[in-house]
Amino acid sequence: MSEEPGLVAVDSAAVWPDDAADVDEGVVANWFVREGARVADGQTVCEIQIEKVSVDVPAPAPGELVERLVPENGTFRRGDPLARVRPD
Amino acid sequence: MFSDMVTARYYEERLQEEYLEGKQPAFDISAGPIPGELHLAAGHEAAAAGVCQHLRDDDTVTAPHRPHHVAIAKGVDLDRMTAEIFGRRTGLCKGKGGHMHLFDPDVNFACSGIIAQGCPPAVGAAMAAKKRGTDGVAVAYLGEGAIDQGGFLESLNLASVHDLPVVFVVEDNDWAISMPKERVTDVKNGAQRADGFDMPGVRVDYNDAVAVYEAAAEAVGRARAGNGPTLLEVQVHRHMGHFMGDAEAYRPDDEVERLKRLDPIDRLADRLRAEGVDEERLGELRAAAERRVEDAIAFAKEQPEPDPEEAYDDVFADPPEPAAKPGTAAADGGGDE
Amino acid sequence: MATTEPEPVAERDLTMSRAMVEAVATEMRENDEVFVMGEDVADYGGIFDSTQGLLDEFGRDRVMDVPISETAFIGAAVGSAQAGMRPIAELMFVDFFGVCMDQIYNQMAKNAYMSGGAVNVPMVLTTAVGGTYSDAGQHSQTLYGTFAHLPGMKVVVPSTAYDAKGLMHSAIRDDDPVVYMFHKRLMGLGWMPAPPGPKTPVPEEAYEIPFGEADVKREGDDATVVTLGLHVHRALEAAAELADDGVEAEVIDLRTLVPLDTETVVESVRKTGRLVVVDEDYRSFGVTGEIVARAAEGALSDLEAVERLAIPDVPIPYARPLEEEVNPATEDIAAAVRRTQG
Repeated sequence: MSEEPGLVAVDSAAVWPDDAADVDEGVVANWFVREGARVADGQTVCEIQIEKVSVDVPAPAPGELVERLVPENGTFRRGDPLARVRPD
Repeated sequence: MFSDMVTARYYEERLQEEYLEGKQPAFDISAGPIPGELHLAAGHEAAAAGVCQHLRDDDTVTAPHRPHHVAIAKGVDLDRMTAEIFGRRTGLCKGKGGHMHLFDPDVNFACSGIIAQGCPPAVGAAMAAKKRGTDGVAVAYLGEGAIDQGGFLESLNLASVHDLPVVFVVEDNDWAISMPKERVTDVKNGAQRADGFDMPGVRVDYNDAVAVYEAAAEAVGRARAGNGPTLLEVQVHRHMGHFMGDAEAYRPDDEVERLKRLDPIDRLADRLRAEGVDEERLGELRAAAERRVEDAIAFAKEQPEPDPEEAYDDVFADPPEPAAKPGTAAADGGGDE
Repeated sequence: MATTEPEPVAERDLTMSRAMVEAVATEMRENDEVFVMGEDVADYGGIFDSTQGLLDEFGRDRVMDVPISETAFIGAAVGSAQAGMRPIAELMFVDFFGVCMDQIYNQMAKNAYMSGGAVNVPMVLTTAVGGTYSDAGQHSQTLYGTFAHLPGMKVVVPSTAYDAKGLMHSAIRDDDPVVYMFHKRLMGLGWMPAPPGPKTPVPEEAYEIPFGEADVKREGDDATVVTLGLHVHRALEAAAELADDGVEAEVIDLRTLVPLDTETVVESVRKTGRLVVVDEDYRSFGVTGEIVARAAEGALSDLEAVERLAIPDVPIPYARPLEEEVNPATEDIAAAVRRTQG
């Protein structure tokens, strides 16, 4: 399903905090949007934790969050997509 | 003094490593070998070593939530203190107190996790010394964030009006967690608090162990001679977060790097070199400190955790009933639930 | 696409901390008399995220960091409330009440009564409660019973984001002092992960949850489990396990201790005949004893079995095995319910 054209990734690297520049892994602390739910542009879809720093991750576009790619409390590497959004 | 300082610094650096184990890639306060919160004192060492050099085992020290450097300078048993921080049965407090609540009656050391609340007991220890006619003194440590707290101000007054042998040591690291000093108090110099209580107030403006030592000589000497309390404020620096989970987003990016250039250990080492102590000797002292810390951590990790049933012991020195797990029929005096 | 079609409504879950903050921010936008003060509430956003983001929107005049002088700033909240404002003061940990209790229980809680109703104190005292992370005896207590015992304060203990938001709206709008006790483990902090449960869907619009209405979080006929805060989630987990064995436990979340919804408890006990009260406060002279007493007063003849689980009258210890021993766990709740099924 991730092959569907036109989906927009929620990019973990785009929100990486400057003071964690030397860290390559993070954890999804909280998801705020369920799969299949609508998101507004810029709406916080999840909160990630990189060492001690917590960062809110915005939706890249308005649309439907079709797939979460990292589970809550799951680890990801910097640059991994966190979710996919089917834009309106 | 140098040994105490390098021991305390290495201790905090090693505890940080141990504490962060299991807390990667995300910080989870409940993960890793050291339970709970951890408030480390790297950058505060001069205030501990410079004052405690003048103290004997029978003098009392109370410390706040950031206590390790003071405990080390006071001579608290490092093995059992470390076992306590690791939550082990053979720790100073059998695993009940933890890092903010270390008690070592052998050297009259105690600490509390509540801001400024070590001050009144220090006044009490001084009162006991005076009543018994000993020349013992008491030292209460607190942070600059605590100087607006009633427990501190009331203690200054009580100590002053009874001429008690207390030295109040304010460690001014400029930050009350995220609150810079100027936002929460209108005095730059916390030692000015002494003016309202008719006692000497002295501030050491630099994070310098020798200056602390000299100021403390006078303050402790004054107390021991029966001439009453002193308020001593010492500029220190917080090299680490308030607690180990503190992301310090509120703090200017370059502040810690700037402060590290004013490191009190480097400053004392320079002074010792100037006095003719050679590099080899300084290296030996550092190596000995590191061995001592490594031994303490190794000891702590070998110790057993407490048995869960021990949770019910020690509520009272003189338990009112035969020890029984509360909630059981025996503790409730029988019954037929 | 027709332009008259409404914008798609965003759907979201919130953590408890974000739900609390959303309610506070809404009230602050609508009422200039609402302001926040406490230690580390501004730049830090609250040690437990209880004021996260408020400084950016409202500035330092309305989101005030204060000295570590609880007597002074909580007392100042009392005074500004009596002057007609609606302050929200934060006591960082409930355990710190010891340094400022006079302002809380002799001033805040009593001024309405002792003035014969001439004054009232419309403030909210928010405070973090609870253990489970080895913070030891001075930073892990809930003290629910202490505050509920002393007359004159309304006492609120949310267990979910939905409840947290509605109870916060009610608390700020209430004309009396409200102690709003949030459990650290439920806030959804990245560094202190919450159990499943407290994060819930939360409507964008403001809504109130009335005080004195307990919430039946799960229905069942075999036993009544009355609890609050973190232990709502432990009780629900226990109830799910019990259901696998055919035991249906009803789980009642008290949500507010003052006022207390006796009726919901008594009705449930009439149905089940078996009562288990679970509390993270000390056992004696506290919530468990009070609930059992109310059940006895209201449904004595229906009561066939009673169990209570609470901190067994010891300070909260530091080491993990010790803290786990004294804090009622999911298995303890399940076992207590089973004991009532004899």
